[in-house]
Amino acid sequence: MSVDKPGRRQGEFRRAARRFRRDPVALFPLAFIIVVAAAGIFHRALAPYDPSAQLDVSPFSGPSAEHWLGTDGLGRDTFSRILEGAGVSLRFSVLVVGVALAVAVPIGLLSGYFGRGIDVFLMRVMEAIQSFPALVLAIAIVATLGPSLLNAGIAVAVGAVPSLARLTRAQALAVREEIFLDASRAIGTPTRRILWRHLLPNVLSPLIVQASVFLGFALLAEAGLSFLGLGVQPPSASWGSMLRQATDTVLAHPWEVIPPGVAIVLTVLAFNLLGEGLRVALGSSAPPRRRGRLGMTMVAREAEPRSALTPPRDGQDLLVVDRLAVEFATPTGRVGVLDDVSFSIAPGETLGLVGESGSGKTVTSLSIMRLLPSPPGMITGGGIWFEGRDLLSLPFRDLAAVRGSGIAMVFQDPLVSLNPAMTIARQISQVVRWHRGASGDEANRLMREALELVGIPRGRAESYPHEFSGGMRQRAMIAMALVCRPRLLIADEPTTALDVTIQAQILELLRDLRAELDMAMLFVTHDLGVVADICQRVAVMYAGQIVETGDVDAVFKNPRHPYTSGLLKAMPQQAKPRSELYVIPGQVPEFATIKAGCRLASRCDFVRDTCTAREIPLIASGVNHLSRCTRTAELDLAGRS
Amino acid sequence: MLGLIGRRLLIAVPLLVVMSLLVFSLVALVPGDPAVTLAGGADASPQAVAQIRAELHLDEPFLARYWTWLGAALRLDFGKSLYSQHAVAAELAQRIPVTASLAIAVFVLVVPLALAVGVFGGLRPRGPLDRGLMFLTSFALSMPPFWVALVLIALFAINLRWLPPFGYTSFTEDPLAWLQTIIMPAVALALAALSILARQVRAGLTDTMQSAFIRTAWAKGGTTRQVVVGHALKNSAIPAVTVMGLQVGAILGGTVIVEQIFSIPGIGMYMLEAVSNKDVPVIQAVTLLFVVANVVANLAVDIAYGYLNPKVRAS
Repeated sequence: MSVDKPGRRQGEFRRAARRFRRDPVALFPLAFIIVVAAAGIFHRALAPYDPSAQLDVSPFSGPSAEHWLGTDGLGRDTFSRILEGAGVSLRFSVLVVGVALAVAVPIGLLSGYFGRGIDVFLMRVMEAIQSFPALVLAIAIVATLGPSLLNAGIAVAVGAVPSLARLTRAQALAVREEIFLDASRAIGTPTRRILWRHLLPNVLSPLIVQASVFLGFALLAEAGLSFLGLGVQPPSASWGSMLRQATDTVLAHPWEVIPPGVAIVLTVLAFNLLGEGLRVALGSSAPPRRRGRLGMTMVAREAEPRSALTPPRDGQDLLVVDRLAVEFATPTGRVGVLDDVSFSIAPGETLGLVGESGSGKTVTSLSIMRLLPSPPGMITGGGIWFEGRDLLSLPFRDLAAVRGSGIAMVFQDPLVSLNPAMTIARQISQVVRWHRGASGDEANRLMREALELVGIPRGRAESYPHEFSGGMRQRAMIAMALVCRPRLLIADEPTTALDVTIQAQILELLRDLRAELDMAMLFVTHDLGVVADICQRVAVMYAGQIVETGDVDAVFKNPRHPYTSGLLKAMPQQAKPRSELYVIPGQVPEFATIKAGCRLASRCDFVRDTCTAREIPLIASGVNHLSRCTRTAELDLAGRS
Repeated sequence: MLGLIGRRLLIAVPLLVVMSLLVFSLVALVPGDPAVTLAGGADASPQAVAQIRAELHLDEPFLARYWTWLGAALRLDFGKSLYSQHAVAAELAQRIPVTASLAIAVFVLVVPLALAVGVFGGLRPRGPLDRGLMFLTSFALSMPPFWVALVLIALFAINLRWLPPFGYTSFTEDPLAWLQTIIMPAVALALAALSILARQVRAGLTDTMQSAFIRTAWAKGGTTRQVVVGHALKNSAIPAVTVMGLQVGAILGGTVIVEQIFSIPGIGMYMLEAVSNKDVPVIQAVTLLFVVANVVANLAVDIAYGYLNPKVRAS
């Protein structure tokens, strides 16, 4: 959680108010509530008749020009009674929620701020109250105190306190841990001041939302209690008591139940929608609206003639990524995160994809199987061919048939990438059943084979992921990827989340399996040492582009791009003892600020005016060796000796 | 798993003791001399007052009275109704199946529908279908159950004459007649719980669908159904189950009103009669019953947790 200072909070509230003013779904209910409240307050002036007067008209007259909503069984004007009821019902709700907040907020703040004994005690009491069904509690309280609006109010407020108190407590707990409170304590601010000045503003947002919802809840509760004859007593009218009266005659005069019912429904709905609008305005996250098909990155390629895309050379390349472009939707507009990414992998070959965090290597690896979520991701150009088929134009079913069977993927963090509620055995055998329609026995046989392949003892198969160590989890992940014998394995930083000895084991395992299964690999990493260890070719990514690609030996010995040379110099293995480790100056640019020309220009020692004049293509600088540097031919760059 | 159940029971038992004390204390809340109030006010005959005093053991100290009452309640003896003089336990035994059959009908409606609404909305958050469904649930949440009941009666019993407006036939007597009498009250009670649960399922599913293990399931080549049903639903059910547990209380509370409207002779109606008659032993017994049902429901939630989340089972 971020550190919220009161000043910044105010700004946030102002922004929330602006968002709120622009949201018709929130403004309309608010307007409606104001109208209802005004009608309730000024009902004497507004009502066409005295709500309690028994008029000289036939009872149950039904709607007419004189009596818009008809008259009740005693000849009283229903519209006037609805207006009177609005006042009674709303006043009740506001008072109840006010009282509940006045009790619940201090309880929650004390509980959350002081913790320990006070917290345990208060929360147990709240739990006990919550164990009563709310309405039963209210009925029991009213039954003992006697029916009246006041007692109904007490009953409803008591029922509302626990959840409001717990909400306040949860927020207070979160805020308590924040730095500014420690700072306040350190300079000796009295506890009371801390509670009021710092904690309260932070718990305010969720409380405002909840208060709105509880206003509706209180209105419903009042209606229920009055309906049972436990709330408002005649002759004064509330919407609930009007319904009670209408029930007795519902068989003969069903219309009577409509006006008070609709009044209740619309008002409660208004409170609920207002709460929803406030929640959105106050910025609790709403899930983004999905684009494209579920489970598949959206492809919106600009109408490029198909012939402009390189068709793959038959039989030579397993995977061809051609001029791939990916954009992210951000609150401030679309941002290009991949540009002109091209590479190919031959059967059985391992390509290393290296770069700093944020260089686009993970986006690239996810894009191949179209696993990048949309939003924010969207493939805006290029092609991805696997075994001669363009994965970007496959329908979902065909793509799903490739995933896990033709191409498989191993992710960075096996703990979150495995389903926590399913045994390892099932997560592996499932892949076989999905792809081969295999029987349970067949699937289990292949599952056991895969486990053996990665070195998980048979007895551990029925374990859940949380019962495994990090290394074992990654082995399980690999078994899952390999169980259908894919021709290409995409390994996205498969060792980053593991400790060093385990890293070596997993690398060893992947190297052995690659040979054993004759499988190609795309190995994504930020570790050049690993690349040298395991890859035949390498592609170096920087700021969403491939800046250099070639055979590992050639690139490492004779780098043709200043960035590659910088990365090589920054390798700890390269450093001389007791010398300072080389660091590439500056930072990877934000994607939104990228300008035309070389993206490394601001960090490069060799920059010239020509570097930023125009986009730079990949330029051949040796056999199968490409570099995105205008000066690639002339520079003398340091490589690995 | 057994350990989990045992631990939860250890928490539930003291909670029930505290709750029973609260329920019993309700009598102490009655203003003035409870016996006089219960006998009908200041002009009640001294005999009646004395009789009630003896019935409720009001001459004994409070905790002694509580102890006697709790001991009897544990043997399922809730005393006699002050109003009808019948044994409360016998009356409850007749009425529990009625309310239970209503509650079961409500759950049969709520669970599959909430899953459907939550899943279809949650798969395309903020899409047109999701917005429509969410508005409908907002709407359903704004309707008092008793009003829904009245509108249903006006529509299906009075206008269309498809269903009987009131009454109750037991399932064992005539299943079809039971269905006809139970469907309207069940719908009236189900709407709110259905909406709350559907929203929870939706929120849970939207969250889960963004998690890394769902990406893995896609990467393994799962179809939408395999990924959603096989991987997402079980994990997003965890918060939904909590909410379902909380809804048990709300549904039980709702039966009080809805049984009244449809003249269904269940626990809720018994409670309401007792309230209007100030029949303290009955109020105590029924409130205790509701509390026990609620605690049991929450126990069931904890056990379901263990099933859904292997980590809870282990610790």
